[in-house]
Amino acid sequence: MSRLETRKAVIGYGDQPIVRGVDVHVPDGRITAIVGPNGCGKSTLLRALVRLLTPMEGSVVLDGEDIHRIPTKNVAQMIGLLPQAPIAPAGITVKELVARGRTPHQKLLRPWSDSDETAVLSALHSTNLTPLQEAVVDELSGGQRQRAWIAMALAQDTPLMLLDEPTTYLDISHQYEVLDLLHRLNERQSRTIVMVVHDLDQAARYAHHVIAMRDGEVAAAGAPEDVFTEKIVSEVFDIDARVFPDPVTGTPIVVPSGGPGHTQ
Amino acid sequence: MRSLRIGPFGITTHRRTFVVGLILLGVLLALLIFALVVGKANIGFLDSMRAAIGISVGSPGDFIVGQVRAPRALTTILVGGMLGVSGAILQSLTRNPLASPDFIGISAGAGTGAVLTMWLTSGTSLWVTAAGAAVGGLTAAFLMLVLSWRRGIVPLRLILTGIGIGFVAQAATQYTLTRMDVHEAGSALAWLVGSTTGSTWTHVKVAAAVLAVLLPVILWHARALRTMEMGDDTAKALGIHVNRSRAILAVCSVLLAAAATAVTGPIGFIALVAPALAVRITRGPGVTLIPAALLGAVLLLVADQASQLMPATLQFPVGIFTAVVGAPYLLWLVWRSSRGGQA
Repeated sequence: MSRLETRKAVIGYGDQPIVRGVDVHVPDGRITAIVGPNGCGKSTLLRALVRLLTPMEGSVVLDGEDIHRIPTKNVAQMIGLLPQAPIAPAGITVKELVARGRTPHQKLLRPWSDSDETAVLSALHSTNLTPLQEAVVDELSGGQRQRAWIAMALAQDTPLMLLDEPTTYLDISHQYEVLDLLHRLNERQSRTIVMVVHDLDQAARYAHHVIAMRDGEVAAAGAPEDVFTEKIVSEVFDIDARVFPDPVTGTPIVVPSGGPGHTQ
Repeated sequence: MRSLRIGPFGITTHRRTFVVGLILLGVLLALLIFALVVGKANIGFLDSMRAAIGISVGSPGDFIVGQVRAPRALTTILVGGMLGVSGAILQSLTRNPLASPDFIGISAGAGTGAVLTMWLTSGTSLWVTAAGAAVGGLTAAFLMLVLSWRRGIVPLRLILTGIGIGFVAQAATQYTLTRMDVHEAGSALAWLVGSTTGSTWTHVKVAAAVLAVLLPVILWHARALRTMEMGDDTAKALGIHVNRSRAILAVCSVLLAAAATAVTGPIGFIALVAPALAVRITRGPGVTLIPAALLGAVLLLVADQASQLMPATLQFPVGIFTAVVGAPYLLWLVWRSSRGGQA
């Protein structure tokens, strides 16, 4: 089942199409990874899925209805987003930032309710930020800051969470910290997660469903084992690569076969 | 949570912001009483208070307090508040502390509109002048948007364009002055300096009416404003109508600045300084509209009182006073940004 999908969606900026007529399904309760070379349209697709972009043709459909026909506040109660470059207001504390995730649930004259407080505390807890809740976001490490933003999206309390490159700019331990967190959220709270990632091995390890894009089209979609084959990886990324089972998890691991020291 | 719930509606606010707001309100009240009581004529405390609320105390208190000091102090407070809110909105929308209506040509555009209106209508009604100022301010803002639009808006380009428009508007104002007859030009010129001298209850009414209409609209969109500070994508994902809210807030900010300009003439630096200072004092995350308004009122009232208390030979209009005090702040901002800080 998928609540969120695209139908022949052509998406772009101005009159320049970047994504050319794709049909994408986001399986409910699973982690979906969107991969592909730079400029293939993966972030563009993600932005359309959370109605930041309007398809030039075709549509994005949420629960069977065109997402642009649903009131934006209702969409915000169903889909949360971690954008690529969010801006933390100067001097904001972790808890204040996370509390802003409640925006779509608040009303004008009765803004802060007990369910808001509960959602914020639970988001802080899930991201292990409870001890840091009074810390100023600007003064956190990169990994902590990313967790704070994820906590904000969590407090939004949406069944679907979309993340645009949640691991970029993080060192390797923080990358896995974030991915483990997403995995936990998916397992324990059965949230549907869609993320754009660059690292194929991470995609294979953490995602149930992979969408591989190239030149604005879906080159392959399915389980990691079905998408990360030597043939598809070479087609999508223009590299010769071997695929082995990950010694830790058994998921596919992509090893380029070029580079220094290699012998044909 | 460093927040507070107030009253049956549970309006949540940052606790420190609330305390700062109360203190500012207290300071403002004290200043208001000072402005009503202290002056060249000694009316006495009780008589001043009575005259201010319309109880007759006879001559000269009825006139000096009831018709001079009270409308002047209230006009100053309202205009200071309008400028503070106007600047706070612009600085928040552009995420740039240099964005304020007096700096990016909106007040200058309102000035042109007002002077043109004075010329065309022979300056009969403040309401008409205010409408002219609104048209002038909106025109300047519209030109600024059109001229700085290149597939979107970059705040710095918007600000630089605004500064350019300000110069053009000032030239247009000067030209209009040369077309007016000497008496009208004289009073327009006095108005252009930015002064609360001669404020009447009509000035208070115009300022209060504009504020009463616009402030609820602005507060209605305050949460959108705060959310947009986190970037358009985040705000949209949180269910904010980003473009609609931004347009409404920008128009409100322009109208506030234009109305303030119509009432007292262009007064610089309050809109620039008050919001930034408010953020600094409240240490709250992002824009704080009410403290910015209160601080704008406090600053302008202090400036107005200070300029009145100067010895007669040194007295000058409050617009010049704010410029003398505000200019160093602007230089400091530029100096800090050239050293790699946030501009």
